[in-house]
Formats: sequence, structure tokens, C-alpha cells
Amino acid sequence: MASQVLLQALFSPIQCPPSKLCFTSSCTASTFGSRNLPLISTSISRRCSPLIAKPSFVVRADSNSDAVSASDNVDENPEASDNVDEVPETEGEQILDSASEVEESKPPRQTRVKLGDVMGILHKRAIAASDEVRTTPDLRTGDIVEIRLEVPENKRRLSIYKGIVISRQNAGIHTTIRVRRIIAGTGVEIVFPIYSPNIKEIKVVKHRKVRQARLYYLKDKLPRFSTFK
Amino acid sequence: MAATFASRCSRVGRSLFGGLSDSSPGLFTTSHEMTCNSYFSQQQRTFIQMRTVLKVVDNSGAKKVMCIRALAGKKGARLGDMIQASVKEAHPNGKVKKGAVVFAVVVRAAMPKGRCDGSEVKFDDNAVVLVDKQGQPIGTRVFGPVPHELRQKKHVKILTLAGHIA
Repeated sequence: MASQVLLQALFSPIQCPPSKLCFTSSCTASTFGSRNLPLISTSISRRCSPLIAKPSFVVRADSNSDAVSASDNVDENPEASDNVDEVPETEGEQILDSASEVEESKPPRQTRVKLGDVMGILHKRAIAASDEVRTTPDLRTGDIVEIRLEVPENKRRLSIYKGIVISRQNAGIHTTIRVRRIIAGTGVEIVFPIYSPNIKEIKVVKHRKVRQARLYYLKDKLPRFSTFK
Repeated sequence: MAATFASRCSRVGRSLFGGLSDSSPGLFTTSHEMTCNSYFSQQQRTFIQMRTVLKVVDNSGAKKVMCIRALAGKKGARLGDMIQASVKEAHPNGKVKKGAVVFAVVVRAAMPKGRCDGSEVKFDDNAVVLVDKQGQPIGTRVFGPVPHELRQKKHVKILTLAGHIA
């Protein structure tokens, strides 16, 4: 019933002004702001802002269906009697505002600009920048790979790391591979970010057929499966 | 390797029960036991702390030491840190005897150590080199690979003795 009251208060003044499309919500704000009624979504436009914050808003163009429903509710006049006296005082400002609202309703509310996948674009750019310096081959789990790395502490020559790729973690510019090898009797696993500028060269020497994406089982197997000359 | 696998299984089991009995990370309830199984099958390597047994990889005479104090770090020692240890097993005629309290530098750790260029390094075992209080190694040879991190920690002598720098 309260919803019907709201509908009448909204639509009864519509019959006076020429344009049925727009009306201010200032009348609603004055009448119902204090009552704290929830804004009825069906009759009023979808894009309504909170009543108290922004008193003026624009109704969507296809409110004709609502006007049809409003005519049905007009019969229930007694309920609107208490609101009628409040409505006329705002009618004046409503007529004034409706003229301005006609222009304001024309530019549609700006739709959200979708920027797209920002981080993905940045990663792609960073990878392209790294590819200009040095191309990175397609590395997969099971490749036996040789990496030449420049270590800032060990400035004399490049360190060479050889081993089998046991996993590849994709994370854009920080895509890493984990390389395992038995060095001097002890297993060593090193994680390399493949697009790092410290890596001077990556070469795939061989490939071993594997049926897993992560070869963590190699840690538990005999050392000879992780040994590479 | 089968032996190490069996020992790892027992370690997994022990860590599971340890988690259930203690109140440590608080996600070990009986309902979670099944989900925690997969979590523990990949061992979460952690710091070197009191009671950690480490392998000695120089020719100072000791074979195994047990950490009694991590000298730097609140949670424990990492790769390149110095620890105080007690010799648990030694060669019959060596420079150090069983029961001696010594200082040692961690040269290999199963816990991954991050480097400033985004790479990480981890070894399959925990190993130390015995040093004196100043950081000079007692032995004259170092076996196995050692990481670059020792250079930053000013253990240059160990690096020169090392056969292979990881």
C-alpha cells in the first residue's frame, strides 16, 4: 500500500506538465525523505542514486508502461489525499526543473569505460620489451636446458646452469622455471625468472618425455635421473 | 633413495601428528586431516634451528653436528648464516672430537633462499662447514656445491676452498 501511495505521488503530477518522461524526485525527497522508504525500483529508473544525496535524477525513457500502471492506481485517491497538499508546492519547482531536465535527459549517462585487462597488457608489454633484448625459447617441463647467467657478484664470467625443467609457473613477466640437477653429489634446484635481464642465454639441449607438468617426483628418485653432463 | 623416501614418509607422519598434538598453526583439526595430507606430502622446508642435525662437508673430522643455537635470526638460521653446534658423530682421528661445541656456517639448506634478481636456490640436504669464532674454516677442503650467498656474508675463504659454486 505504501508502494501505491508512492506511485500516486510520483505520477499524479505527471498529468499536468507536458512531458511525461521526466520529473524530479525532489517531490519524492520532500515527501518521503524523512520516512526513509526504500526506493521502488520498478517505477523509477534503474539508475537512481540515493534520494538524500542527489535529489534530482532522470527517469528512463520508457516509463510509458509505468504511466499505464499509474492510471490504474489513480482510482485510489483517498490514500493520496494527505500527499496532495505537499505535492502542489513542489509542482512549481517541478515545472521549472522539467524544462531543464529535458536537456539533461538527452546525454545518456556515461557507461563504464572498460579498460580491459590492464595487468595483462602491462605484462605483455614487459615481455615484448624483454624479447627485444633476447628471445626466450618456448620452455616446457621435461626440457633439458642450459642457462647462461650473469651474476652481479661474480662479474668475471657467466655462470652456466644445466638441468631439467621440472616446473614452469606462468605469471606474466615473472614466469619462472625450476631447473634441477645433481651437482657434485647433491641435488640443486634453482628457480629462474626466464625474462630476467641477467639471463644471457637459454638453450634447450634435449627433451625428455614426461607425462606430468611438475616433476617433483624426481627428488625421490635415484640421482641418476637428475644427472646431466 | 628408497631409504630417504621411507625416512621422508616417517617424517611426514611425525609432522602430521606433531601438528595435531601441538597447537602450532591451528589448522590441524581432525576434520582437516585428509586435506592436510596433500599439503604435507610436499614438505614445507623451514629454518635450521635447535636440534637440527646437519651434515659436515669439510675435512675437519666431524661427520654430523646438531645445531644448538642459530646465531642470527629469530626463527632460525638460513643459507649462509652461522650457527653454534655440537658434534654428534666424528671420524676417529680428526681435528674435532665428538661432543665438542663448534661454530659452523650453513652452506646448503633445504629451505629455498631468494636472490635479489628473483631467482631462488635450494639444495637437497642441509650441510655446514665448521669454522672458528672469526669465521675461518677449520678444515682445508670443502665438498659439494656452495652458493654465491657466502660471498655476501663474507665467507670468502669457504668459497675459495669450494669445488663448485652453485
